[in-house]
Amino acid sequence: MSAPQNSPLILAIPSKGRLKEQVEAWLADAGLPVSATTGGRGYTARIAALPRVEVRLLSASDIAGALESGEVHLGVTGEDLLRERIADLESRVMLLRALGVGRADLIVAVPKSWLDVETMADLEEVAHMHLVRTGRRLRVATKYIGQTRTFFAGHGIADYRIVESGGATEGAPASGAAEIIVDITTTGATLAANHLKILSDGVILKSQAQLAASLAADWDDERLAVIRQMLGLVEARARAKGSVMLVWPAERDEAARTALAELVARGARPRANGLLLAEGELLAAQSLLAGAGIGPVAATRPEHLFEPVSAAAESLASRLTVGN
Amino acid sequence: MRLEPPVPLAALAAIRAPFAEAGAASVEVPVLQPLALLLDLTGEAMRPRLFVVQAEGGEELALRPDFTIPVARAHIDGGKPEGRYAYEGKAFRAAPQGSARAEEFLQIGVEIFGNGDPADSDAEVAALAWRSASAGGRDDLRITFGDIALFGAFVDSLALAPSLATRLKRLFTRPRLLAAELDRADAGEAARPERFVNPLEGVPEGHGAGALRQLWAIAGIEPVGTRPPDEIVRRLAERAEASRTPSLSPAEAKAVRDFLAVSSAPEAALDAVRKLAGPSTASLDAALAGWSRRLANLVARGVPADRMTFAAAFGRAFGYYDGVLFEVRSPALGDERPAAGGGRYDGLPGRLGAPSTLGAVGCAVRPARAFAGGVE
Repeated sequence: MSAPQNSPLILAIPSKGRLKEQVEAWLADAGLPVSATTGGRGYTARIAALPRVEVRLLSASDIAGALESGEVHLGVTGEDLLRERIADLESRVMLLRALGVGRADLIVAVPKSWLDVETMADLEEVAHMHLVRTGRRLRVATKYIGQTRTFFAGHGIADYRIVESGGATEGAPASGAAEIIVDITTTGATLAANHLKILSDGVILKSQAQLAASLAADWDDERLAVIRQMLGLVEARARAKGSVMLVWPAERDEAARTALAELVARGARPRANGLLLAEGELLAAQSLLAGAGIGPVAATRPEHLFEPVSAAAESLASRLTVGN
Repeated sequence: MRLEPPVPLAALAAIRAPFAEAGAASVEVPVLQPLALLLDLTGEAMRPRLFVVQAEGGEELALRPDFTIPVARAHIDGGKPEGRYAYEGKAFRAAPQGSARAEEFLQIGVEIFGNGDPADSDAEVAALAWRSASAGGRDDLRITFGDIALFGAFVDSLALAPSLATRLKRLFTRPRLLAAELDRADAGEAARPERFVNPLEGVPEGHGAGALRQLWAIAGIEPVGTRPPDEIVRRLAERAEASRTPSLSPAEAKAVRDFLAVSSAPEAALDAVRKLAGPSTASLDAALAGWSRRLANLVARGVPADRMTFAAAFGRAFGYYDGVLFEVRSPALGDERPAAGGGRYDGLPGRLGAPSTLGAVGCAVRPARAFAGGVE
């Protein structure tokens, strides 16, 4: 395998923590295992199947910054961080694919003891009462200043101010540093342990890890070709998951097709002497085939299901002016 | 930081002159102001406009976005009951992305603290802003007035349930929420929220906080923070009360909409407000009488009647103004870039720690905008 050539496509992935493991597992599962580069001291890596790709390991937050500035072509990081770090996200970065991992919600939480507060409208009123009672604005502890401001403005909340939180935001109401918080939560367990509850309409963002492309990076046709390969593979892997391929004896093909007509009508796709169907339909298919006396039937799971074109790769290509 | 184009010295002197005649003491205030205090007083919406600085290990500070708060602080620290102050200096506001606005700009202004007739000091300050801005040589200036307190008086005239009236008054500076409230009134009963049941219903007066603590204990809730239990008890009762009492009727919603649409020459505008009023007009009559005095005073001080507009919906979504406010605007500059502005902020001194209720009103001129040859 040759070394990356002189104009690599740079992919940034998280350098530590659970997200790093999840992203590496996701890539490996798609057939793109990441291996450390000798001499890279853990900051660079490569993907054997894509020699043009140079992998950089950065903090999840730096990945957002590197995508914004165009230092890297691709990056995998949380959507919450992308939206917080990049003011005008849609014009600078294109989200290519949600990974289904690193799920976390950005939420507004208040003390559980506030029995009278369930919605943002309640909070608007209580924030005003706080101002009238104390002469000070209700303090909101958060690391997510931009998104908090936009969300609160959308709900007409004016009587508050943000207290920037370095860490352990959820402890701020108990410690007296703030009255309420805006923070990321995955299971809600930390909120509950801190005697906080999420407002019913207080979910600012349902975040997960995203594969994103920088629109500011240096792109060319060769790099786009790599993106097409990579997305093709990743999407093919996702498509393959939850699919089952059935194969029956060639001489019973006509009878099998008749028996399974209703599954085809529901979206299963006929193949030569077989059928590609969703995993959930497997038992239904088997009982129909058994009823028609057809066997033996082999069921296998495809590794990948390729389509000729990746819609995400093509829409990226159309956003970029390539070749000049 | 983007600077303003310079204003010729002669023009600047003309713009400054009316302030020199106002009998105000000249005051210097620090450029750096505590960030937390500014955000507390003006609201989080101000943060994107602030330049924030911090010395190693020190508190976060912001370059002053205007002079009102620092001058009010200086007055309160001085301990005198009354005072009038003139200032001149740079203020700093970050421009939104993509905007070519100056971020460092000259302001000349005055702040008056005292408990005389507010109609008189309002007119004095507005006339000062008008004369100063006019001295810049623009011939298309107009002065637009609004009055946040007038909305409250109008709502009082409608004789609504107290919880509803309080809510409407609060929503005046939140146009989107107010519009939603009026739309709900049009939709009638169908849009009424579900009936809210107070878990402390029937608990005798004075035992609410104790009952709430018991409820917390039963539900396994550990209270955090410093919100007083009494406030929670009171608001639970208010929510239940509000969900029982009738919401705004379509006719009342229409009256509020018509009020907000009033915008014309002041005399005609105030007449229109009088005609839209509901049955209990005591506080509205007093407010309108105040406006009659204010208008006569403005004309006597040389503000041409045909350059004045009264716009009932003119208020600010954030900030500290709580009564009369005004802007001197030029069509050539656009409404977004007033040459001068100001208003009454009686609530601010108390929040800064002033011992008693202290009337406060002020204005500021932007010479680079007022100057007819300027572009900003």
